[in-house]
Amino acid sequence: MSAPQSSATSWARRLRGANNEGVLALILLLVVVGMSIANPVFLTLPTAFSIARDAIVPLILALGVLLIIILGGIDVSFAAIAVFAGYATVRLMEGGTLDLGLVAAFAVAIVIGGCLGAINGWVIARFRLPTLIVTLGTQGIFKGALLTYVGGKYIANLPESLAGVGTANVLEVSLENGQANLHVMVIPAVVLAVVLAWVLRRTMFGRSIYAIGGDIEAARRAGIRVVRVQVWVFVIVGAMAATAGMIYMILGRSASPHELVGTELDIIAAVVLGGASIFGGRGSVLGTVLGVLLVQVINNSLILAGVPSAWQRAAVGALLVVGVGIQAIAARRASQVRRVQEVAPEPKEVAAV
Amino acid sequence: MSTVEKPNPLKQVNDAVDSRWSELLSRVHMERTTRRMLALVVIAFALFAVLAPNVFLSAINLQNIALASPEIGILAVAMMLAMLTGGIDLSLVSIANLSAITMSTIYTAVAATDPAQAEAMMPVIVLAGVLVGLAGGAINGVLVSVVGITPILATLGTMQIYNGVAVAWTGGSTLYGAPSALTAMGMSTLAGVPLLFLAFVLVAVGVGALLNRTPLGLKVQLQGANPTAARYSGIRGRSVLMSTYLLTGLLGGIAGVLFLARNPTASADYGASYVLLVIVIAVLGGTNPNGGYATVLGVVLATLTLQIVSSGFTAVRLSSYEYAMAQGVILIAVMVLDQVRWRRRRRRPAATVAA
Repeated sequence: MSAPQSSATSWARRLRGANNEGVLALILLLVVVGMSIANPVFLTLPTAFSIARDAIVPLILALGVLLIIILGGIDVSFAAIAVFAGYATVRLMEGGTLDLGLVAAFAVAIVIGGCLGAINGWVIARFRLPTLIVTLGTQGIFKGALLTYVGGKYIANLPESLAGVGTANVLEVSLENGQANLHVMVIPAVVLAVVLAWVLRRTMFGRSIYAIGGDIEAARRAGIRVVRVQVWVFVIVGAMAATAGMIYMILGRSASPHELVGTELDIIAAVVLGGASIFGGRGSVLGTVLGVLLVQVINNSLILAGVPSAWQRAAVGALLVVGVGIQAIAARRASQVRRVQEVAPEPKEVAAV
Repeated sequence: MSTVEKPNPLKQVNDAVDSRWSELLSRVHMERTTRRMLALVVIAFALFAVLAPNVFLSAINLQNIALASPEIGILAVAMMLAMLTGGIDLSLVSIANLSAITMSTIYTAVAATDPAQAEAMMPVIVLAGVLVGLAGGAINGVLVSVVGITPILATLGTMQIYNGVAVAWTGGSTLYGAPSALTAMGMSTLAGVPLLFLAFVLVAVGVGALLNRTPLGLKVQLQGANPTAARYSGIRGRSVLMSTYLLTGLLGGIAGVLFLARNPTASADYGASYVLLVIVIAVLGGTNPNGGYATVLGVVLATLTLQIVSSGFTAVRLSSYEYAMAQGVILIAVMVLDQVRWRRRRRRPAATVAA
């Protein structure tokens, strides 16, 4: 094996990323460049900031889904948890009798979300039930409980401490034709993404999630406490969903128990687009971030390009089908190559997970 | 039979009924999950019949249950088929809506120039709706069997595509208009039973026969139980999967016809909550989500159970939110009970197995 060639291919491989993040970034770049050429309005700061604002809630939810998918499951209850925690917290503070302040409000929501997540995790880990089925059930339970016991009315005015944040910007840039504002809630989303990337890559807990998703039995024999990790992942995902729920209410400057639920499959689609394997054990924060951004950019750019917004869903769906289709064909070709190599074995470096 | 001379006529009749009943039961061999579903249907029915006899047992309420079941039931049977092969079909509701929208559009377009002809074209219009379903299923089938995409991802994508096309087509609004013959069919009854319910029974029996009496049905079951073994026993996985998704698409199209027959409107977001509900019904009906095991009867009974609980909740004045909770609780409870029993049986072999 000649050195320059191998280093070139290894560079190409690194650029492509373990989960095709490079390819995704390239597509994102192409879409952005293409849109900017088609409509110069696209390549402006206000557009970028509004895309960032639109991406906050889907991103946090998607990062939660990413954890579950790496663990080898599927979650459809996170939207119900998000709305439950967000609405219940606002409801608690409503009327000004109990103004908790921003931090405490988030804390309350996160505790609620964590508890709901713990219910998911306990049932799934204790009885070893399929995650899809259990979360389908808990989705109905959470949403039903919210509307029955917490309330069902639309709250138009958030409590003072939350309403104030709704219009706060972290970055305000004055342009000749107006102003570009970056919403302050971008910060928690970015922090969460960075922390999660670190946890998944560098901590025992993160590696355990990959191990369980890759092969649950192997993980158990390697000494990983499978049940404990599973329950904790669901608690964390519940807490993350709750954060997203709170931010959603703050951004919308109102609270309604009928929001978010119904968007589960869209979020899952973004995560899958980001290269996470539905079979577990594969996926990255970077890929998910790119996936969510791509969906948001497409949604935003179609409007600018004059395509009716009605086609957004179809476009995202088509992208998903093409994306996973290419992956499926590549995987099949790889398995055929492997079969050929088994006949004439040849040392092959192990792909880094 | 004269019961007057016998010493205890009541007991004798009772015994006769008992033996008949057990004889009937032993003849109708049923799987455990199906028996459990049957018990659930009976329990749910009895519960609400006792709690709110005036409302729940009224003829109108019973007809409403029979009217609401078919569209969900047919979608659930389709979902069951996909799950039987170890897959899933998330695009079913979108397919059904697309089919209903197609039919409504064709009808409105023709009726604008010639209403009489639009009525006369009813069979053609229905055929078009069913064909749209088949086409949707064919795309799913190609993606799953030829391209090799995991069913959950393939149908997640096509769900978005079909739904997106429907939204773009209708502009997000609701279309009105359906052949009056179709609407009339939706409202008519045969001996008190709505025709739509009979259509549902017909479809269920058809799918049941297909699964249990035809080579294709056997192949579908084997493919789901063990794809590797199926391949080595000469089953062509590709064509089995293709047929399965064609069939689920066809059923989706039929469900679309029922949508339109029940209510002469069509929109892209009709029955958005059905996607997950249909999975709940299929699993509740004893379908193994990993493939290889399912019964049509179980799914039909599960459909009825949820409809009975739904209308029963309305009858005793509980909200639809409480129904959503009940749905989740029933699903998880059944799954947990299943799992506990299965584990206990594995731990204590033979000796103390409770059937």
